[in-house]
Amino acid sequence: MTTAINNIEPKLLPGDLAIWFFIFMELLVFGIFFIVYAVMRIENIELFNHYQLTLNRELGAANTLLLITSSYFVVRAVEAIRVNNVKSCIDWLYAALGGGMGFLILKSFEYSDKFSEGINLSTNTFYMFYLSLTMFHFLHVILGMIILFAVVHKAKRGGYNAQNYTGVETGASYWHMVDLVWIILFPLVYIIR
Amino acid sequence: MKTVYNVHTIWLLMIVLTLSTYFMGKLGLSGIAVVLFLLFTAVIKGGLIIRDFMELRDVSFLWRAIMYGWLWTVCIAIALAYIISL
Repeated sequence: MTTAINNIEPKLLPGDLAIWFFIFMELLVFGIFFIVYAVMRIENIELFNHYQLTLNRELGAANTLLLITSSYFVVRAVEAIRVNNVKSCIDWLYAALGGGMGFLILKSFEYSDKFSEGINLSTNTFYMFYLSLTMFHFLHVILGMIILFAVVHKAKRGGYNAQNYTGVETGASYWHMVDLVWIILFPLVYIIR
Repeated sequence: MKTVYNVHTIWLLMIVLTLSTYFMGKLGLSGIAVVLFLLFTAVIKGGLIIRDFMELRDVSFLWRAIMYGWLWTVCIAIALAYIISL
């Protein structure tokens, strides 16, 4: 007797499985950080509302646009390698790295502005969260860029093609995680009051 | 047939949602409805990244549950903290 089974196998996670466990851990840490910020704000509403207004919302919004666009470029890079267009893949990855570099430059301007006013981690609770949260994310942007650089380097040496592009997906997944975290960080720290 | 729902329009939608978030901040809007709107906007954008940029729409339920679960849990917890503080 035969039994008809309509069994559609779910897809595997894109990229290397190890990067996903790393991503889950990163998200857990950022998630706890976000919730602690929101809870600490309950005890310090006036302080948080007052000092939030000192942040540069324009730079925060511009950085959000840069990261979203950079993530979109990475999507295009993955699409390109799937049709064996290595050159296009590399070009899109360079464009994504440009977005990441733009983010770092704008964020550096923002930090420079705050540091020149004598603001540091011990200024008050709001700035402690603002600086530590955004600097922690800043480091992840740098790490994401290092990973994308490594992918570009391997792609240039012919390491990826339409049959073998796991590394490109791995780098892309990490870069999207960096974007995903900022999507919550931006409204939480800069906008919501 | 080319669908309107593709990576290009998703990128455009996220740009528009980001600008709406920025302008709500610039206008100095506050209150529970604004907080919920801003967090819901973040959930939509995060969902689009997970579903379409990370390409998790067809992976097994466990992985999607972890990612969407993280997104909703964090945003609901933030919303509750803000509701308590109002």
